[in-house]
Amino acid sequence: MRGRRLSGWVAAVPMAALALATVYPLVFTANVALKTRREYVLDRFAPLNSPHWENIGTAWSEAGMARYFANSLLVVTVSVALLLLLGSMAGFALSRLRFRGSRVIFLGCLAALFVPFQVIMVPLARVMADTGLIDTYPGLILAYVAQWLPFTVFLMTSHYTTIPMEIVDAARIDGNTVYGVYRRIMIPLGTPALLSVGILDTLFCWNDVLIALLTMNSADHRTLMVGVTSLRGQYSDDIPTFASGVLIAAVPVLMIYLFLQRQIADGVTAGSTKG
Amino acid sequence: MPIGGSSPLVRPGAPGRTSGEDTTRQASHRATGAGSRRAARSERLAPYVLVAPAVLIILGLRLYPLILGVNFSFTGDGDRNGTTVGFDNYLELFDDPLFRTALGNVGLLVLLLPVAVAIPGLLATFIYLRVPGHRVFRSVYFFPAVLSPVIVGSIFNLMLAFDGPLNTVLGTIGIGPVDWLGDPDVTMFTVVGVHVWATFGMALVVFLAGFSTLDSSLLDAAQMDGASLARTIWHVVIPSLSRTIAFVLVTTMIGMLTSMFGLLYVMTSGGPEGSTYLPEYYIWIQQGQMNRPALASAASTVLFLIMLVVGLAQVGLLRRAGRQD
Repeated sequence: MRGRRLSGWVAAVPMAALALATVYPLVFTANVALKTRREYVLDRFAPLNSPHWENIGTAWSEAGMARYFANSLLVVTVSVALLLLLGSMAGFALSRLRFRGSRVIFLGCLAALFVPFQVIMVPLARVMADTGLIDTYPGLILAYVAQWLPFTVFLMTSHYTTIPMEIVDAARIDGNTVYGVYRRIMIPLGTPALLSVGILDTLFCWNDVLIALLTMNSADHRTLMVGVTSLRGQYSDDIPTFASGVLIAAVPVLMIYLFLQRQIADGVTAGSTKG
Repeated sequence: MPIGGSSPLVRPGAPGRTSGEDTTRQASHRATGAGSRRAARSERLAPYVLVAPAVLIILGLRLYPLILGVNFSFTGDGDRNGTTVGFDNYLELFDDPLFRTALGNVGLLVLLLPVAVAIPGLLATFIYLRVPGHRVFRSVYFFPAVLSPVIVGSIFNLMLAFDGPLNTVLGTIGIGPVDWLGDPDVTMFTVVGVHVWATFGMALVVFLAGFSTLDSSLLDAAQMDGASLARTIWHVVIPSLSRTIAFVLVTTMIGMLTSMFGLLYVMTSGGPEGSTYLPEYYIWIQQGQMNRPALASAASTVLFLIMLVVGLAQVGLLRRAGRQD
């Protein structure tokens, strides 16, 4: 016993060092974000004397982060709502209804899951240009929905498979239509899965840069992550403002992480145990 | 429309099936007239209505572009737009030093894969064995996984600057300074390192889920026999977790091949001297900057083939792991 405890501490020391290395970059960035330019040039490591929140204000208004933030919020909200709606509808049908072609459709979803975006991005840009969807909000939303729908359908299907057929049958005996079963049984019973898939979809969409770069060219339409990449050139001589912009983009996901860590972990591991 | 369990995920002969058919029949007997026929028709069509939007979107914006892209790759760019050029794009691709660097870097990723999987695996083992502070470690390690590659890259642009924090720390113990983002021999390793920093928490969580299914009596038995930690890991942990390990291997490989774009875009732009190109970055440059969509499509097809090999390896690995279970 004693030997095991000792070896535990031997492992804990490097692990604590690694934990420090995990947190420090963000602490450093937050520290830099609240310094004046002068303080940064003199000593970028020293802890703050007094936080200069005005950098955050500069990044928010002058650098255009407010606009990018609003764009991201709009696109991500609509995309995730659509993903959950369409994903749960298809997941219900594929797991709990019997119809011709359901197997082919499920396999098609699985196949799409293994096609990475980089493989289809050139033709997708062409299709979107041909249909007038390029550089529009509906276009980016559709691209996001298409990107993460196979994943959403797959996880919702495997979640709904765990709901006993007896419950569905009982609801049918009570005179519910298929749509009634979806609304009164599948949505309420699917809430935990919808929550964890929804959080993952939110992270995917919020953190994306490639799809947004490809489909939204005008400066007005930049999402937050594309905005951050443009800050670098704009504020190369004003690192505190640049760091403030990075912080603004990171805060929402850090909030999600702080409050919903367990649901994220559930979503991540669902694929490994059910796959 | 009988509701029943014939979908691929439901065991055949699930108890709900027959009773489901009976109740539907009863329900349709109860109602009469034209209204009920319309209702029955609507019920029969309901599954299709439910899957239709998802099917249309996935077909139109995921599977159709895949075929379209393979088609593109055999046509020309610019003046030869739309004409068939056979394998010209592929020949040009493999002639391009940048694309060859990109493929070489894929090889490097494959070589670094065991390290990228062993780190979270080892950490998960220690957390499972409840080292002091394991709860804190678990949640701290996971947090970079929620950050966008753009944010991670931006933060590390500051951290890895020539006069930045990392070189300062190394300087105090007499190493460096290293030009992390400017030396062509170093930079690819830097980017992979940052990618691992950002994603090992994901793999860690998957490993811990695998551990929770582990038979703890096996570990206790090994402990009783006085097996060392290394032997316990080798003889007990690795064989029992073969499915999880295979899963992490494949997802980590896919992650390295498809989600490093943000890091490359923010940290290196493919440089210095084109040393950090990956196929996904090459596709982006040819499509977005060079206006060579057909050449980019050829690169996409090559990337797809690489992913296919990874996918088939996955099936093979999982099957072998399944036999050992």
